[in-house]
Amino acid sequence: MSANWISTRAWLLMLPLLVVMVSVIGWPLVDTVRLSFTDAKLVGTEGSFVGIANYEKMLAGSNFQRALVTTTWFAVVSVAAEMVLGVLAALLLHQQFRGRTALRALMILPWALPTVVNATLWRLIYNPEYGALNAALTQLGLIDSYRSWLGEPGSALTALIIADCWKNFPLVALIALAALQAVPRDITAAALVDGAGPFNRFRFVIMPYLAGPLLVALVLRTIEAFKVFDIIWVMTRGGPANSTRTLSILVYQEAFSFQRAGSGASLALIVTLLVTVLAAAYAALLRRAAGAA
Amino acid sequence: MSALEIRNIQKRYGDVETLKGIDIALESGEFLVLLGSSGCGKSTLLNIIAGLAEPSGGDILIGERSILSAHPKDRDIAMVFQSYALYPDMSVARNIGFGLEMRKVPAAEREKAVRDTARLLQIENLLDRKPSQLSGGQRQRVAIGRALVRNPRVFLFDEPLSNLDAKLRMEMRTELKRLHQMLKTTVVYVTHDQIEAMTLATRIAVMRDGRIEQLGTPAEIYDRPATLYVAGFVGSPPMNILDAEIVGHQVRIARSDEVLPLPRDFKRTTVSSGPVKVGIRPEALRLADFGASGARLIADVEVMELTGPELVTTATIGGQRITACLPPRTALATGSTQAFSFDEAALHLFDPESGRSLRAA
Repeated sequence: MSANWISTRAWLLMLPLLVVMVSVIGWPLVDTVRLSFTDAKLVGTEGSFVGIANYEKMLAGSNFQRALVTTTWFAVVSVAAEMVLGVLAALLLHQQFRGRTALRALMILPWALPTVVNATLWRLIYNPEYGALNAALTQLGLIDSYRSWLGEPGSALTALIIADCWKNFPLVALIALAALQAVPRDITAAALVDGAGPFNRFRFVIMPYLAGPLLVALVLRTIEAFKVFDIIWVMTRGGPANSTRTLSILVYQEAFSFQRAGSGASLALIVTLLVTVLAAAYAALLRRAAGAA
Repeated sequence: MSALEIRNIQKRYGDVETLKGIDIALESGEFLVLLGSSGCGKSTLLNIIAGLAEPSGGDILIGERSILSAHPKDRDIAMVFQSYALYPDMSVARNIGFGLEMRKVPAAEREKAVRDTARLLQIENLLDRKPSQLSGGQRQRVAIGRALVRNPRVFLFDEPLSNLDAKLRMEMRTELKRLHQMLKTTVVYVTHDQIEAMTLATRIAVMRDGRIEQLGTPAEIYDRPATLYVAGFVGSPPMNILDAEIVGHQVRIARSDEVLPLPRDFKRTTVSSGPVKVGIRPEALRLADFGASGARLIADVEVMELTGPELVTTATIGGQRITACLPPRTALATGSTQAFSFDEAALHLFDPESGRSLRAA
């Protein structure tokens, strides 16, 4: 069998997948690019070519700038908190104690839940009339009266970040736990004999083993957090007063609520570009980390 | 005053008893090797001394002070691990000095100690490298340096040479011996390699199933093995063990007409007749004339293997195999019948039931 035939056969076998990929990803992407240069509405008009007018309008608009700040804040705070919580949880679950296996399994639960379920759960917790958070804080004497956590611009984003952390820290914990298990026992023993305390053992001995896997978790989580949509849509729909409107929510509103397909498409492509830049930067970081190891 | 005293140390994991009461007292400057096959408890004992495992009973004293309740860092010990256990992110210099750094030794003093140790181990040129840039032998030197630099009262070695290739292992063995002779440190060294044990130790504790089978100098272990297990474990090729029977003042090899005189120091009180195990080291056997007087065995030559320095010859007596290490240029033919002589002192008798030596103490 010639190498040529093997290569031909490989392409033949991949053909169905390629057809599906081109039709569900390739074509919509190309069409989105086309749309972004038109003033098309979602329904009715085909729209006419307007050049880069959509991009100019979107980038200059205060909505975009505000959403960018909101998204960045959401991504930075939630990912940072998830990393810290995840590593702490992993360190805890790496200790020997009774019920460890059960606790490890239990920890994955928030992450395994569908986002919609998680969002609904947290909406109940934050409920201004009968929410558990209000009850707990009132009974502890920390607040005088029930508050609408998701209804106040000052607290809504923080409430969302907490919900998102709860859902996603288990992923970081899982990755960190796997990395912890790869730390050679001899090395921690050596550090113990060398007189390193818990903090120094973590910093000098364990951290080098955690760094690589955590970087991967960081990349995954940042990109996901930057694209966040579902949890916010279910909990606040971008409100109140647009205080939780992230880029993805803005894209949705522009394209579907305001039915401006052209400018919605341009906005979507801007978000795509931002995420791509982020991913490329991380990929470079990962390559450098792999080179150093 | 003992530098290290191990008193009735026991270790249980649930129902499994891995250490069944170990007692050893070590003088300052002694090199004790814990020798045994895997699972005998030797590494567990070392970890207990280091404080990396807790005993179920007993006590350990370093310089007359019980250390069991002390943290590993406060035990005045240093340990070298089989896997080297170097910190992968740190330079060689920092690896060596890490213990001093954690003990807050001033930087200048630390640097000097690291340099001195590196010079001693001939790794001065490697101080700026990372462990991943070192060969196995170099890593092992760094690991030893990390232990030496702290100048502890007791050094613990956990199979430090078993990850090295044969040639390097021999070099490092000599190096360790040189260091010990120079520094006169107290060492507890775990290995399953009997050559390492014989060459390095001032005393060997042969361990089996959580007990000490025999504790003695290398010469005692080799010349006067206390049990069949020790006899078979120490020596390469291992001691020949033959089924035999005591008949009057003689020992008859099973299923043959071969008889040997009873050794003079035979402990007649234990066994006066009946089955015994006879042990003769392969290197004690010499080729002899059939008519020669003294202790000798007649056997049929089966296989000959020239290793270079010696001709390892396998022969059979009454269906039992014996091995003899003969000079390399010995003229022998496969299938021939030969007489092998040996000194009467090289003959060992063991109780087949208990495995204990029948030599009078």
